[in-house]
Amino acid sequence: MNPATLIPAPDPLQVPWGWFQFLLLLTFFLHIVTMNIMVGCGFIALVKQLANPEKNREFCRDVSEKLTYSIAFTVNFGVAPLLFLQVLYGHFMYTSSVIMGAYWLSIVFFLIAAYYLAYLYKFKFDAWAVRQNWLLGSSLAIMLLIGFFFTNNITLMQTPETWPLYFNHPGGFFLNLAEPTLITRYLHFMVAAVATGGLFLAGLASFQHRLPEQERKARIKSGLMWFSYATMVEIAVGIVFLFNLPKPVLKIFIGGDWLATVLFFTAMAGAFFSVVYGMKEKLWHAAAALGATILTMILVRDLARQAYLKPYFTPADLPVAAQYSPMLLFFAILAIGLGIIYYMLRLAWRSAKEVRP
Amino acid sequence: MNYPVWELTFFGGGLTIALMAVIHVFVSHFAIGGGLFLVLTEWKGYREKSPAIIDYVRKHTKFFLLLTMVFGAMTGVGIWFVIGLINPATTSILIHNFVFAWAIEWVFFVGEIVSLLIYYYTFGRMSQRNHLILGWLYFIFAWLSLFVINGIIDFMLTPGKWLETGNFWHGFFNPTFWPSLFFRTFIALILAGLYGFLTATAIKDDAFRLRMVRYCATWLVAPFLLLFAATWWYVNALPEPIATMLREQPTDLLPFLNVFMVAAPVLILGGLLMAIRLPQVAKQSLAGLLMLIGLIYFGSFEYIREGSRRPYTIYNHIFSHSIVKKELPGVAEAGVLRYAKWTEFKEITEENRRKAGRRLFYLGCAACHSINGPTRDIVTLTRGYATVDALAARLSGLAELNSAMPPFPGTEEERRALAAFILQDLHQRQDRTSMPTIAQQQHETPAFDPAKSQYALLAWSEYGMHSITDSDALFTMRMPGSTINAMLIKRGPAPEVITTGVELRYGVETGFENPAGQVDFWQHAASLTDRELPTNTGLAGNSTSGVMQVDDDRRLFVAKELPVVPYKEGGSYQPYPLITIEAKDQASGAVLAATKAVAPVSTEWGCRNCHGGGWRKGVAGLSPVTAGNVLLAHDRYNKTTLVELAKSGRPVRCQICHPDPRGDHGNPAVLSLSAAIHGFHANTLKGRGADACFFCHQDAAPHGATRFFRGIHNELGFDCTNCHGAIEDHALSLLLAEQQAGKKAAEKRMRHLPPREVADLNEIKPRQAWINQPDCLSCHEDFQPPATITAFNKWTTRESELYRRRTDNMGIPCAACHNSPHALFPATNPYDAERDNIVPRQHQGNPYPLGANKNCTLCHTKDMKEEMHHPNSLRMMRNVR
Repeated sequence: MNPATLIPAPDPLQVPWGWFQFLLLLTFFLHIVTMNIMVGCGFIALVKQLANPEKNREFCRDVSEKLTYSIAFTVNFGVAPLLFLQVLYGHFMYTSSVIMGAYWLSIVFFLIAAYYLAYLYKFKFDAWAVRQNWLLGSSLAIMLLIGFFFTNNITLMQTPETWPLYFNHPGGFFLNLAEPTLITRYLHFMVAAVATGGLFLAGLASFQHRLPEQERKARIKSGLMWFSYATMVEIAVGIVFLFNLPKPVLKIFIGGDWLATVLFFTAMAGAFFSVVYGMKEKLWHAAAALGATILTMILVRDLARQAYLKPYFTPADLPVAAQYSPMLLFFAILAIGLGIIYYMLRLAWRSAKEVRP
Repeated sequence: MNYPVWELTFFGGGLTIALMAVIHVFVSHFAIGGGLFLVLTEWKGYREKSPAIIDYVRKHTKFFLLLTMVFGAMTGVGIWFVIGLINPATTSILIHNFVFAWAIEWVFFVGEIVSLLIYYYTFGRMSQRNHLILGWLYFIFAWLSLFVINGIIDFMLTPGKWLETGNFWHGFFNPTFWPSLFFRTFIALILAGLYGFLTATAIKDDAFRLRMVRYCATWLVAPFLLLFAATWWYVNALPEPIATMLREQPTDLLPFLNVFMVAAPVLILGGLLMAIRLPQVAKQSLAGLLMLIGLIYFGSFEYIREGSRRPYTIYNHIFSHSIVKKELPGVAEAGVLRYAKWTEFKEITEENRRKAGRRLFYLGCAACHSINGPTRDIVTLTRGYATVDALAARLSGLAELNSAMPPFPGTEEERRALAAFILQDLHQRQDRTSMPTIAQQQHETPAFDPAKSQYALLAWSEYGMHSITDSDALFTMRMPGSTINAMLIKRGPAPEVITTGVELRYGVETGFENPAGQVDFWQHAASLTDRELPTNTGLAGNSTSGVMQVDDDRRLFVAKELPVVPYKEGGSYQPYPLITIEAKDQASGAVLAATKAVAPVSTEWGCRNCHGGGWRKGVAGLSPVTAGNVLLAHDRYNKTTLVELAKSGRPVRCQICHPDPRGDHGNPAVLSLSAAIHGFHANTLKGRGADACFFCHQDAAPHGATRFFRGIHNELGFDCTNCHGAIEDHALSLLLAEQQAGKKAAEKRMRHLPPREVADLNEIKPRQAWINQPDCLSCHEDFQPPATITAFNKWTTRESELYRRRTDNMGIPCAACHNSPHALFPATNPYDAERDNIVPRQHQGNPYPLGANKNCTLCHTKDMKEEMHHPNSLRMMRNVR
């Protein structure tokens, strides 16, 4: 069966594809950062909790308080890129989702479970102290599982040549396990999460002046070490991942396409500097390097997707039935919304200084 | 059809979406109303300087946060996931057309999260004013989310001008946008009160608990008035087809409509009950119960709304089987398998038929129908169908008979493949391949001596077949009652029709004298006929033997409405019992002449082909299951209570309502029996030949147990359609007459019936059943050999012109010499080849019409030269055996 015949016909766009591409990459950046913080912090807290529960109790309490926020924003910031992804690649994405339908839908239920477990971990931190490992561990395990499902879907979506397998597994219980990049790709995201989580915790500690100075510094240092070592592992995983890529995709990053090659090496440089600054305990330098790395990696990832789909499709092919007014309204509301959010955050910051009414 | 289908069986697409959606809306609307509840209650606390109220709000906020932000928000994402899985094509349209609406909604979602988190975590740590501002901001963001989603949800129900323009704003601010927005806003307020009960009833202090519960009750009860107004507005904003559909109260939505109507006052009453002083446990239980009722109330609304746009997912644009309306004709022509991308079969072969049918099921049906699941289970829905052909027929009339169903989009072959999958794979049911065996009967022909016999006795049945329904405990469409006519002719050069001085007695064949032993008609006769009827007595008071009445006008003897059934003692099916007729001199008692005629009677109705159940007696008969299902279908389609009536021992005859020229006047506003039945079923039998007729009139089928079409026209290779027309035309002719009589129901049945024989509906001549029938003379013009073999559309204009009523120039009924309709001489009876030909065999030694081959001597005792009876009567038989 020729997989190209299976690709559904797409619906027309309202504005040229570049707008959606921009919004997709922008919002995906937000999602991936919050997801990294969520998974990374959860992972580091679990390791510390298992290693020395007494010593790390207050650290874990801090993480417990942040974990639910990070879930809220990971999901929220996940909605937007998923929306824009469906606009550009919906005909691929719905297809791959259906093929793994049971797993894909299970994400919703798993997510609710992970979320409530995280709330229990937070609200019952003292009351259910003995269950802490279990609560955090299961919440984290579910998050990791959800990530695995996402990796499955995204790989499946960009490899239509695997789609005919649907006819052998039409019940929605199909995972793209034969995909050569699946594991390294997944690890690439999850190890990055640990690195980012470490850096986030270091950054967080740098603001926590309520902590004893020694503890604060220890937390910064520990966070940066997690960041640095995880980034090293990440580089190793990334190299394996790179060489797992199909030849035509790999080729664009090693000279086949100048933009892809430049971006890829920029990202590599970003990773390198991340490690260097991390080891040198230069928190904000490391953060900048990480930000640059994530941003370029997102672009690299997008170019890889386009290379994967090149035999079948490029978003520039999508028909456009132009209507700009909804987009303009969106930008206006986004601006107003961001203004109000800024106002609300300011109220919150100030409230810390306010006297209780 | 563009996408692969997630092959859910038990759950089916419909249930999976409904479960996620109903739970989500119940929480997400609380997230809106509850937001207003929080900030207003907090404000109340400040105004009244009540720390208790503030403390209550703080606790309620935690509950609110945990429920709406986790469960509400995640199930919202869940709906998106699930519709993308079950109906990706529609989801893609919604995403692409409203991407910036979704994006705007996302901005509001961010605002909701930020404001709610800050609101909760700064509770008591922020100035009252600022905290209230946050509360208000949360509510505004939440309500704006509703504003956006509301536009998209109602777009699916009423896309309005978008259908022509494709314009975002036309789709968004669609005809039901505003009423729906208000409706949902008021629902949200009501839910705030309902959820408020959950936390308010947990308050420990009795006095304060009562105060807060009453406060919540106000939230629950007060918005109802506004909600009723919004509901009225909403209903009135619906476009005509949807409003009509709801007014007609489709059976599957009816329970939800009822629940929606009943639950509102129950909720109000519950709210008032909560306001009185009750023990805490009672209030907590009541609060839980009201929550459940609220869920059912709101759930039923959503179900009705979703149900109202069927058979579309976006009204008038894309069907629930994911075919865009404007593409449907193309799909119908090419076939689903060629059109769909995700199929392993592009062609149907003998080998892959059921597998291709399975694929067709998933492509076209699975978005709504489950397999053995709790909702719209395809196995339950098709339980009645006996054969692939029957189910394929039903599939051909999906949209025609059920406005909630989309048209079957594929080819005839695909229909059959789908039917084969459903029946043979899901039901494990094989088509019956063997024909019923017919036990051959014998008869003795009474004597007649052409030289000596003084009398010729002719006898025939009024009808070529009297098809009765032996489902007497449930209903009757036709009761036992076979009419036999006889004519006594005194032979001679000037033969004479004798009606005086003689007595004609009739007697039914041995084994048929006790029909009450075979059918339950007499047990239910009082209910079916509105009068007491002695056992084994017919509707005209006749028994299985007796004296024939003289019909002076027609110079006949008639044995009217004899209680004859097609079961011989012992139960075997024999649809052609013989009636012996004897003419005696009244004075002397001497037997003048004797003959025999069949009283054709059958119970071989094909209802079971689609309505399920087996035969009542071996090869024929309407079983209780079949008849019960027929009534169920009638009740469902017409909102009658026939099943209930039958269960309470009061079965009815169809003609009580449906006028029938052969029976009652019925209710003149209702379609005549023939128009109703043919009009309904024709919608599933389009494009066929006589096989369409055999689905129901199985007693006419050449493969059946009765095979009543046994006259010369059968031998010549004709079928039902030669005289009666194709089923569409046949039904249309009946419906047209009803339409002209001002019966609106006719139009509904005609809407999807294209004429077959003629190009335009106007060319079809309206007719009444049993009165305007095919006219023999339209083919046999002036009694000559036929110039055409199509009698359709040339109806007799009055009853006296009917073949069975007509006479020749000498006043001899046509049927006296040619036999009953459908059994014209020479006939071949499947049970006993010569059984229908007894009269000609007896009187002239051949099976031909009486007087054929210039056999004038039969009556005239000499050869005649003039064609006195009718032109072309004095000739040799054309169709000799």
